[in-house]
Amino acid sequence: MKAIKGILLTCDPAVKQILLAMDEKQKFIIDNLDDYHIVIKADDEYRVRLELEAELEKNTWTLE
Amino acid sequence: MPVAVAQDETKDVKKEHVLLPFLQTQSQNTLTRLYQRPSSCLSIFRLLSALERQIIMNLLWLESAISVSTMAAWVVREARPLYDNALATLARLHILPQSTVKLALNPTFKTSFRQALTGGGTSSSFGVPAGEGHDKAQDGIPTDRDGRKDDKRNAPSLNTLDSYAIERWETILHYMVGSGNGRRPPEPSPGVRFLLKTSGLMNEFHGSLQISSTGFQFLLHSPHEQLWHLLLQYLHLAEQRRMDLVDVLSFLFMLSTMELGREYTVANLTKTQSAMLEDLRDYGLIWQRKQSSRRFSPTRLSTTLTSCSPSLPNATGTSSGPQEGFIVLETNYRIYAYTDNPLQTAVLGLFASLKCRFPNLVIGSITRESVKKALSNGITADQIIAYLITHAHPNMRKNNPMLPVTVQDQIRLWELEKNRLKSQEGYLYTAFASQADYELVLNYAKELDVVLWENAAKRCFFGSAEGHSNIKGFIERRTMGQK
Repeated sequence: MKAIKGILLTCDPAVKQILLAMDEKQKFIIDNLDDYHIVIKADDEYRVRLELEAELEKNTWTLE
Repeated sequence: MPVAVAQDETKDVKKEHVLLPFLQTQSQNTLTRLYQRPSSCLSIFRLLSALERQIIMNLLWLESAISVSTMAAWVVREARPLYDNALATLARLHILPQSTVKLALNPTFKTSFRQALTGGGTSSSFGVPAGEGHDKAQDGIPTDRDGRKDDKRNAPSLNTLDSYAIERWETILHYMVGSGNGRRPPEPSPGVRFLLKTSGLMNEFHGSLQISSTGFQFLLHSPHEQLWHLLLQYLHLAEQRRMDLVDVLSFLFMLSTMELGREYTVANLTKTQSAMLEDLRDYGLIWQRKQSSRRFSPTRLSTTLTSCSPSLPNATGTSSGPQEGFIVLETNYRIYAYTDNPLQTAVLGLFASLKCRFPNLVIGSITRESVKKALSNGITADQIIAYLITHAHPNMRKNNPMLPVTVQDQIRLWELEKNRLKSQEGYLYTAFASQADYELVLNYAKELDVVLWENAAKRCFFGSAEGHSNIKGFIERRTMGQK
């Protein structure tokens, strides 16, 4: 039996796909649990959040 | 009492007053001393819910105790939980001691409250007006010349009091709003700044105070709630400073029962209460002509502490904008605010991007960026919507629903967007040797309530960080046992 320290991310499937794509560039995923859950390295959380936000931001437009 | 109360109470969805939980944590001794003052009894009575008030009124004029079963017979079955709840609250406040046989009000409370309603007594807990009778008694005491001159002046007008209260109060709020956007509004007194810091509404940041997320939420509340929030902090502080809590509370209650526009003498105040004068002056609760003045007048902020009338006057002619609704929100996210009050404009600027400003009108729009900024400051979507509803223009109130649904939904969606990723720290437990092993550890973790995710097919689960040491210990004990 093994215990791995990490952070459990709960997200929707769309966000998970983005995370998987990001993982291909730089590994941070420890285990891909199911459609809604993923375990990542604790140290990478901040970076992943920033990158994810930048990625999601590409999909929004403003009137201004 | 039975049916009428039940209906009354279900309509009364207002949650209990913020002061009551604080009072409930006080000792019976403190509360009983507080109940010796009729004005405190009246004020607390006014803070209670309708049902609790009715129970007190039913018992107040009874000379002897009433048996619990007689009282309970009045209550219809559906309303029973409400009734029990009310009794529990009153018991915690030590107004109506819990008993399985007889119900009777706390004798101190009963005497004082009767006195509050019928008058009489010499406790002067409602404050002693200056310039009548009592001043004559003091004439013998030599006072400095200022004090004498002071006594001859007339009481301040309501306008003076109102504009003073508004000026003080808005200085505090302005200081909070201004700290967030880099502007430096006039600073309130050190005492106020200290209170803002200890209450967590503002945080020290590079030597200057910055508004915190609770501070942002605070700004969207009504003046009454804001005032009590600060006073509650003040009470906690008073406990730490070893001020007599009964003195502090009874002074606040005394203020809340005083008459607006009247001057009261400071001669009857205790030492603690005289010390409080300065603090309360800073908050705008009390007006004094001079610091050394022997008289003080309560402002509208303090006389409405325990009533439901607005804490700040809606009279015009002061710098404050209209108190009832002034915001019009359109389906195209445009927002029109009919106000000339810089504070209201600043609060609006917390979650809307403002475009133009006219003498009596501010135009802006609610955008994704502006709402995101608010959300990152710790304001929630519900708070924004609640603020818009409470300050909606009278014309908006004709609409049903009052705010455009599109805008409401969009604000909530923006909030959800921010929370697309939820993260929880912990440990992933995998590679169990057997299904039995897995289930054993999993059940143990479940008992501790630390399992965040599990999958029996993969034989792994995710436990929160708090549970790790326990689980580790559990496994170690087992492996030791097997050897």
